[in-house]
Amino acid sequence: MNDQRSKKILFNKSSLLSLKAELLKKQEEVQDKKHLPQHRVDSYKPPVAKAKNVKDTEKPGKRSFKDNLKAVDTDELEACRKSKLALEKKAELYAHLADGAGNSELSGRFLVDFNTKKQQEPEPECKSSQDTDVTYQSYEEVESEWTEFTDCLGRTRKCLKSDLDLYIKRDQELMQTMIKDQVKPIEEMPENEVPQVEKPLLVQKTNDYLQSLREKWEEKERELLAKDKDIHYQDLLYDEARIHGVSYFSFSTDEAERQKQMEALKKQRQETLAAQAEAEERRRKRDELLAARVAAARARQRARAGLPPEDPTKENEKDFTTCLLEFLTQQKNEADNKAKEEEKKIKEEQEKERQKLRDAYVRDWDIGKEGVEGKVKKFREMTQEEYVEQQRAKRIEEFAPIQGSCRDGSNYTFDGRGKVVAPDNYPPLSKSWTDVRPKVKTPPPPIISYTEPEEKGLYFSSKKSMPKPSVQYKNFVKAQPTPIENEISDDESEAQRSEERNPEANHAEIAPPPTYDYYGPVPKKYKPQKPFVSDIREAYAQGARSLEPKSSSERLPQHYDFTFD
Amino acid sequence: MTASEVSFNRKIISEDLSNVEFDTSEDVEVIPTFDSMGLRDELLRGIYTYGFEKPSAIQQRSIQPIVKGRDVIAQAQSGTGKTATFSISILQSLDTTLRETQVLVLSPTRELATQIQKVILALGDFMNVQCHACIGGTNLGEDIRKLDYGQHVVSGTPGRVFDMIRRRVLRTRSIKMLVLDEADEMLNKGFKEQIYDVYRYLPPATQVVLISATLPHEILEMTSKFMTDPIRILVKRDELTLEGIKQFFVAVEREEWKFDTLCDLYDTLTITQAVIFCNTKRKVDWLTQKMQEANFTVSSMHGDMPQKERDNIMKEFRSGQSRVLITTDVWARGIDVQQVSLVINYDLPNNRELYIHRIGRSGRFGRKGVAINFVKSDDIRILRDIEQYYSTQIDEMPMNVADLI
Repeated sequence: MNDQRSKKILFNKSSLLSLKAELLKKQEEVQDKKHLPQHRVDSYKPPVAKAKNVKDTEKPGKRSFKDNLKAVDTDELEACRKSKLALEKKAELYAHLADGAGNSELSGRFLVDFNTKKQQEPEPECKSSQDTDVTYQSYEEVESEWTEFTDCLGRTRKCLKSDLDLYIKRDQELMQTMIKDQVKPIEEMPENEVPQVEKPLLVQKTNDYLQSLREKWEEKERELLAKDKDIHYQDLLYDEARIHGVSYFSFSTDEAERQKQMEALKKQRQETLAAQAEAEERRRKRDELLAARVAAARARQRARAGLPPEDPTKENEKDFTTCLLEFLTQQKNEADNKAKEEEKKIKEEQEKERQKLRDAYVRDWDIGKEGVEGKVKKFREMTQEEYVEQQRAKRIEEFAPIQGSCRDGSNYTFDGRGKVVAPDNYPPLSKSWTDVRPKVKTPPPPIISYTEPEEKGLYFSSKKSMPKPSVQYKNFVKAQPTPIENEISDDESEAQRSEERNPEANHAEIAPPPTYDYYGPVPKKYKPQKPFVSDIREAYAQGARSLEPKSSSERLPQHYDFTFD
Repeated sequence: MTASEVSFNRKIISEDLSNVEFDTSEDVEVIPTFDSMGLRDELLRGIYTYGFEKPSAIQQRSIQPIVKGRDVIAQAQSGTGKTATFSISILQSLDTTLRETQVLVLSPTRELATQIQKVILALGDFMNVQCHACIGGTNLGEDIRKLDYGQHVVSGTPGRVFDMIRRRVLRTRSIKMLVLDEADEMLNKGFKEQIYDVYRYLPPATQVVLISATLPHEILEMTSKFMTDPIRILVKRDELTLEGIKQFFVAVEREEWKFDTLCDLYDTLTITQAVIFCNTKRKVDWLTQKMQEANFTVSSMHGDMPQKERDNIMKEFRSGQSRVLITTDVWARGIDVQQVSLVINYDLPNNRELYIHRIGRSGRFGRKGVAINFVKSDDIRILRDIEQYYSTQIDEMPMNVADLI
């Protein structure tokens, strides 16, 4: 043990002895097993490495597909893979430690004495590694797309050239995790050394490169400024990383050279066009020839069969339906074209009109420029609208119509309805329609109480069950009650009276019905007729009219009228 | 008077447009191929050579009206070929035999102006077009010499261009088109006056083209001042973010943790190329220094650097020599480097528009991109607001973010 060098491990001797015994026993076991053919380490290792390499080079998608085919439990496989990886890592680490056992101070951290281990079995490892190297090389010879690289652990690995980037990236990731991972300090050492040496070099290199680039660009710029001639795209490109079209050609920055290239390009273009035309012509000719040959063959066949020669015009003949169809489509197309043309004409005319207006239009920012003044004057022949606007602007505020009635009204839909809704006692006009509307829906309490007794009196029953929003609304609007005295007077015209007897109107306008029907014992009679309000109103109006003379003559004193209780 | 006339007039008269919703014009034609656009042969060759095969949505719609001479307001998602759209239109409407400035393109940053010059030269490589980048921070004498030589197109920043116009070096009499790239930025408070100054020197009724990925309402409102009945090709804001750019956030409790997070992400940054945005120049300097102290290779760029240095950094980044760029919003708009696939908002941008532009530095022309926002707890609210405003999705960053690049 190497404890005398690096650290002290506290133990008692018996445990050490038993450990030693256990170790020897295990070593013997291992030795025994090694000699069995299926467990020989040196013959076992290479296949593992190979298998892994092949696997790594495959695309992940492919791999999973394969797994599916094999129907292997993926979890198990994953675990297996992980353990293998860990083992390999460990093996690498051990190998490394064994290699540098003498000089690496870090080997002291590990309990295994690699020095003695190395002395015990130096040969087989070397051999195996050589073996694998040989196989790699032979592999490489066979397939040239394979490539080899050394990873951060010092392993040489093999993969497809196309996948190299991916593996290098992965390797770098691994490297980073290892740097972070303090458990494996051995790997850290070379990592730290490499960037320290390389980075300044890299920075310096890139700086030098950039400097040279800058100088180059400056040179170009000076050239550009010096030459008093045409500037082209190429002169300004400055190594820009830009993807151009497929037909992009990088012309020379030298003018003469550029002209030459242009000429050549033009020539080539013409050649291409000519070649295209020629090919087209040839194809046409060939097709014609082929058609003629086919026709001749058919004619021969017919002649052999004893049939009369085919009428050459027959192919061009069409049957009636196709003719008709063609005719119809032609007609349709003509009509369409005509319509289109007309439309176009109209559009053109409109466009002309607009163009005239455009020509006449003077922009604010143009006013004062040379040649604009005349135009401005001509234009100032005002349109009606403009005039109205101007007049309105001039108008003294006091003489203007009330805000919202006229001027604003023209802008909103409010205007149309406003007239209908707005009587003399209506809320101020400045309020909008939406302000007023909710109030209409829920009339103020005094008016409701005003109308309620009247309706009760009319129908003798549960008036509340009858929704009459329009009635309420009108009540609200015509809030003024009609005096009772007017109702009773005799000399009113028929029409006026029937209107006033409207159930929506005031209670006082209803004359007390003097018939038996009303004073009799069964007022319920009317109940079934009630569902239709308008019907009832109509019927009542009629009835009232027929009873008119009686009511006027046999009118009861008002205190007998119990309909108003 | 027809109905269209009335509506047209009303547009001219009415002052208050804040309630008007701007929509894409109705009569916009969609042309599905470059071949059917009726472009000149040499231009077509340039287009295909540059790498375009099929026109993008904005190219299908905008090229035709611009070529026809109409004023156009074109909006499209970042990296969908807006620069190429107006470049192609410009090249199609040029008269190359006339060696005078016919088109003026203005953009907010020098780098962008240079980039536009490059694109125009590339697309017009077979047309022998001459385009000059007229930007600040360069030698005045050289500028004058180049302009005297005769340039078909001038792409520049407002300050230097105005200077050149005032000196009568840049003659404006043949200018028939003014293009404002990143139009919303150009018409913002900082630039608007300069644009006005330049505009005052242009012939009246010059064709004006506005292009940007973001066009806020207030910008659209003011266009009638310098445009005539423009054709609008607009994108609704909930369609403004690209599917291809995945957006994530990393929640950090304290500002200091952002740096550690960035260091952790460094390997991911260098997969292709990355841009890191800070809100101030000082912070860019600070972060750059700190990253370099921690042995990370980064480069940085902001507006306080000398132009020479800015140019060099741009070249290095464009050539792929540097892979991580720490910068300010000077880089937020328009800069196109194909290989950028990751954008980090070290600080959240100051407005919603900038967010769109910043994340748009990745995912160029159909490529994939990732945007990562570093958010402190009180920033999350802002991020949620952005998310809602553009109806997009900003998730917490997953572990496998590198796979998305």
